[in-house]
Amino acid sequence: MQGPGFIMDHECARLLPAVCAVLADPRQPVADDTCLEKLLDWFKTVTEAESSLLLLQENPCLVELLSHVPNLQDVSSGVLSFSLRLAGIFAAQEDCFQYLQQVELLPGLFGAAGPLGQAVWAIPTVRSGWIQGLRSLAQHPSALCFLADHGAVDTIFSLQGDASLFVASAAGQLLVHILALSMEGRAEGHTCPQGGDWPMCAQKIVGHIEESLCSTDTPRVTQALNVLTTTFGRCQSLWTEVLWEQLSPLVARLLERDPVPAPHPLMDLLLCVARSPVLSSLDRGPWETAAQALSCLGPTQAGALALGVLKLQLCPQALRTQAFGVLLQPLACVLKATAQAPGLPGLLDGTSEDPAVVDALLSSKSSCAGLLCRTLAHLEELQPLPQRPSPWPQAPLLRAAVTILCLCDGSAAPSSSVGGRLCGTLAGCVRVQRAALDFLGTLSQGTGPQEQVTQVFAILLECLERPDSSPTVLKKAFQATLRWLLSSAGTPSCSGLGPRAALFLPELFPVLQKRLCNPCWEVRDSALEFLTHLSRHWGGQADFRHLLLQSEVPELTRQLLQDPESYVRASAVTAMGELSSRGLHGTLTNPEHPEAQQSLLPEFLHILSADSEGFPRRAVMQVFTEWLRGGHADVARDTERFVATVLQVVSQDLDWEVRAQGLELALVFLGQMLGQPGPHCPYTVALPKAVPASPLAEALGALCRVRLFEFAFRALFDCDRPVAQKSCDLLLFLRDKTTPYSSLWEAGGSPDSASVEAALQRWQAGEQGQPLGDLEPEAMLAALRSIDLEGLRGTLAQGSDHVEKSPQSLLRDMLATVGVLQENQADCY
Amino acid sequence: MPEIRVTPLGAGQDVGRSCILVSIAGKNVMLDCGMHMGFSDDVSPPDGRLTCAASSSHFHLDHCGALPYFSEMVGYDGPIYMTHPTQAICPILLEDYRKIAVDKKGEANFFTSQMIKDCMKKVVAVHLHQTVQVDDELEIKAYYAGHVLGAAMFQIKVGSESVVYTGDYNMTPDRHLGAAWIDKCRPNLLITESTYATTIRDSKRCRERDFLKKVHETVERGGKVLIPVFALGRAQELCILLETFWERMNLKVPIYFSTGLTEKANHYYKLFITWTNQKIRKTFVQRNMFEFKHIKAFDRAFCCPWAPSPSTSGGHVVFATPGMLHAGQSLQIFRKWAGNEKNMVIMPGYCVQGTVGHKILSGQRKLEMEGRQVLEVKMQVEYMSFSAHADAKGIMQLVGQAEPESVLLVHGEAKKMEFLKQKIEQEFRVDCYMPANGETVVLPTSPSIPGGISLGLLKREMAQGLLPEAKRPRLLHGTLIMKDSNFRLVSSEQALKELGLAEHQLRFTCRVHLHDTRKEQETAMRVYSHLKSILKDHCVQHLPDGSVTVESILIQAAAPSEDPATKVLLVSWTYQDEELGSYLTSLLKKGLPQAPS
Repeated sequence: MQGPGFIMDHECARLLPAVCAVLADPRQPVADDTCLEKLLDWFKTVTEAESSLLLLQENPCLVELLSHVPNLQDVSSGVLSFSLRLAGIFAAQEDCFQYLQQVELLPGLFGAAGPLGQAVWAIPTVRSGWIQGLRSLAQHPSALCFLADHGAVDTIFSLQGDASLFVASAAGQLLVHILALSMEGRAEGHTCPQGGDWPMCAQKIVGHIEESLCSTDTPRVTQALNVLTTTFGRCQSLWTEVLWEQLSPLVARLLERDPVPAPHPLMDLLLCVARSPVLSSLDRGPWETAAQALSCLGPTQAGALALGVLKLQLCPQALRTQAFGVLLQPLACVLKATAQAPGLPGLLDGTSEDPAVVDALLSSKSSCAGLLCRTLAHLEELQPLPQRPSPWPQAPLLRAAVTILCLCDGSAAPSSSVGGRLCGTLAGCVRVQRAALDFLGTLSQGTGPQEQVTQVFAILLECLERPDSSPTVLKKAFQATLRWLLSSAGTPSCSGLGPRAALFLPELFPVLQKRLCNPCWEVRDSALEFLTHLSRHWGGQADFRHLLLQSEVPELTRQLLQDPESYVRASAVTAMGELSSRGLHGTLTNPEHPEAQQSLLPEFLHILSADSEGFPRRAVMQVFTEWLRGGHADVARDTERFVATVLQVVSQDLDWEVRAQGLELALVFLGQMLGQPGPHCPYTVALPKAVPASPLAEALGALCRVRLFEFAFRALFDCDRPVAQKSCDLLLFLRDKTTPYSSLWEAGGSPDSASVEAALQRWQAGEQGQPLGDLEPEAMLAALRSIDLEGLRGTLAQGSDHVEKSPQSLLRDMLATVGVLQENQADCY
Repeated sequence: MPEIRVTPLGAGQDVGRSCILVSIAGKNVMLDCGMHMGFSDDVSPPDGRLTCAASSSHFHLDHCGALPYFSEMVGYDGPIYMTHPTQAICPILLEDYRKIAVDKKGEANFFTSQMIKDCMKKVVAVHLHQTVQVDDELEIKAYYAGHVLGAAMFQIKVGSESVVYTGDYNMTPDRHLGAAWIDKCRPNLLITESTYATTIRDSKRCRERDFLKKVHETVERGGKVLIPVFALGRAQELCILLETFWERMNLKVPIYFSTGLTEKANHYYKLFITWTNQKIRKTFVQRNMFEFKHIKAFDRAFCCPWAPSPSTSGGHVVFATPGMLHAGQSLQIFRKWAGNEKNMVIMPGYCVQGTVGHKILSGQRKLEMEGRQVLEVKMQVEYMSFSAHADAKGIMQLVGQAEPESVLLVHGEAKKMEFLKQKIEQEFRVDCYMPANGETVVLPTSPSIPGGISLGLLKREMAQGLLPEAKRPRLLHGTLIMKDSNFRLVSSEQALKELGLAEHQLRFTCRVHLHDTRKEQETAMRVYSHLKSILKDHCVQHLPDGSVTVESILIQAAAPSEDPATKVLLVSWTYQDEELGSYLTSLLKKGLPQAPS
């Protein structure tokens, strides 16, 4: 809830006492808990802008509510939690905190006398409210004293292990906040006091963390590690150095335990310390511990740490090498187990296999798939980074990806027994297949030996061809194929297909044909998306054009315009639009005359006016806009007629996104008539470039003929805000373009804009009414000038729910709901 | 200790969005991934990598609305399971939801149409009662849940451990759907919704009659009726209701459906006819219930029912989206009609705070609109609950049907749950839990561990001539080998061979004292004759060294030096013949029969 309208105004102040009375009355339950959340959001906004003390003094009902609620017998947990949080928000300002202390309100909420000792404490919402209240309150030194006096820190310690995830996590966050608050301003000088000189509160928290780190109870260790990670992630002050120096031996000692407790939080902490510019430069930096963690946890568990280390900008080389080794281990094992030719370089040659990796790969299908998927995802993330290890073992990695795909589809012929078992484990494993295809796609960014690239294309084709490939695998296979095809064609400037693609495409098109006829809509759709991308890149390529036109792909794509699935129809429209832009939309009878192909325009217009679903109609509009922009032959033949027809059809569409795209098309047309809008902010062109009056008259005439004015005026009062907004921007552009010449029009006598203005009023009132009929540009321009477009734009920019979301609306709703919605309150869908 | 862990992230003691994490035998499953229609906060679904399967029980947005966020923005890349109708209808509602959100607030940080499509490509559609293998161990199965078209309850099973999640369900059939049903699957845990935990609902027929009466009265006196609905679901239910009524009463007043969705609904209901109730299925051959005669799709081009034109100035009914009157067409029509007391708006579902729907339902009659305009609502406002959930009786009935070992309540209010919890615990004598959001319930389980048996061992058993009987357990001796996380029962010879071990004999021995003054050889002879006469089926031998054997049991007689009148019989046997060994011992302890002197 933001904005100037959301302050505490007179109306809110008037409604507030009644709302507080409702909240303080257990017999009047609040129907909707989200109201309380929204109310808190509002108070947060209010207190950010003005004094909380003043607010409480001017609205005594609030203090009454806060003092009344904790003493109620049957108070609802929601209202109690709300009160705790609200008190915290007010007490965040020190003067208000003092005031609340004076009226002795805070101990009743946060002290032992409050909900802490009562039965309601068992409800997680109440505990959560208590923590969040304290989190807001803890902003100043007085708050720290309050916490110390009431033993709040001990309670927070115990809440770290709360049964509710949300409460436990919030307790950890609060500890970090209190620690940082108590250390605030202590490290301004060059030297930071050692741990022993720290404030009592901080010492207590650090002591608790130390104890937890030494505990044999894993959840406690996890809590301590999480608190440290948050602390080091949030604070970069000098005192964090002292803290790390003091605690790092305890952290390192965790690695000596077997098994290592809480490996994931531990890795998070080490990475967080390594990323911190303050801590990573220390003598006792994280490097040694990280190295120890990598070797203790091994490739099965330390993948995320290894990836994190490799992503660091500054890090000792030895550690990087070790981390990369950890990431590569599983793939090295796969390569070793399936090695065909002994001469080829593998990964990590000369090092021994980690038995834990072999065990994870062989023990069960899920552990094998899990390890491989994680490894592939990590390497995929690493590959495009500039700081990735160099030299990058492209060739063995490619071989590993291909091998895994072969293992998955059962085409591998492993020689070793381990390889044989891997083959059995991975056969048909869709999850690994998807991960391997993603990784393979990423590897297309590097180069590889010719023979290997051939293997890549072969396995991709195999994946695309296999009758039992799952739709999700096929989608990934199409994506990877596209990446390899585009990269194999060479640099972006090089327009040739490249020899490999030229060899591959003839094999690909039959497969694509087959996939376009697949019974699964997911597959047909992925195939169409693939075709669209391919044509976008290669539509101008002679070889590609030839191969495509020889195939049945264009015809099949055209048939998919009638697909029962609307997603597929939409993708078919996009693909056909792309093909048509390049003269590739029909089977070629005469290659010399691509224009001899049948026009798609009538078919697309039919879809636009008749398809019952939005996606295909939206796709048609996108294609039409592109066609208009690119001067497509079908459009250029009679642009005015095209625009007029499309706008007429679109104005009746029930999907506002189609109507909004109609405005986009209108804008392109406008740009062509009156000069292009600026590239970034089309509607704020300061002054139109000199468009001479006579071409302008011609252009305006064209706009009238295509009924663009009427379309835009109607859209201005559309019931869907984005349409109105877009139309407003378009009309502003139009008005700015024509303003310099308006005097010329006016000189010729005042135009009769009365009928236009009358129509505008009708539309504004939500009526559709009759069409405008043929009117002169002068009348349109006069009407255009009569609308307060800037004012309208301001209103529209607020969002259609700004009135509903206002605090007045919220308070009124809360009052109105009391006792009325009893029947409806438990209702849902 | 194996266990099942359940953590509701949503629907734990509330009726907001449903999202329940279940961890069963190390497999993580997310059940439903819903959103809150009126509120958003930063409690996001967990990291996508944690989950190995997700499922959505039905197409309502509080059960599937966050799926595109979870799969395309958080990055979950695994399968999402839903029934065929849910798979077909879910993207339409998600798209509807996206459009309303964007309409209201702009594109910022919301999922796109492409994301919805990409999310739907990860969906694996399941048939009712079809067991779907998620991986080697995890399987899921869908049961009919009523509630809305395609709604399902899901059973998740790993080995012998299983959890059933009901989603929303209805135990009484309604106008177009049947009642929920599940077999006696005896899961370890039943996670059930409890929206109407304390209510015994009146019959839906009454509510329907009320609805029809109100609509009829209004149009009769020339008023217009606005029914704000969401694209699919309740809209179709109400359409059938009005269509049948119009047909019966021979009414001519037009009914419009503003979004052209009747066609689509028609298509889906035709496609999924098996999911509807028996009556619709039966009449389908003669007449498709969803081919509406009286309900016309509203077309912007030719007619605008709310424009004051002569043809439409009389009464009529309009269904318009969205359902809470918070944006778009329904709001536009409402603003136009609100001032006339002859008109009526019927809200057929729940509305969240802040929406115009919520305001008018709570009795507000002066609404502030944009630009400080005040809209006075004179038209009649009615609320009709058509939500189809099981009531208290229905929930108890389902628990009785499934016979779970324990029950966990979600999707309900804490106080009402508390009441139902006690009832379930008393009646069924099972534990019942009701965790709040973020709280984890841990259930220890005792899984049965599957083991293999070697063919050799089975053949040997068969060779003994005893045919197996299905109903009678049989004792089988063998050696249990644990290897590569597998358990196998094999013959001892095979075990020795496989494990490369040498055989060691273990013999039990026992001494039996007999009063016998004769020499040892004679005593042995007497023992032989005695046993020979008793154990006719066994091979009893007297060996040259004087000892007696019965199968592997060896008996030797010795004379202790201190008492020549007593003889000691040393009996020794292997563990395989333990039964016979102990039998012989007890026999010999009774003494030998008196020999003729």
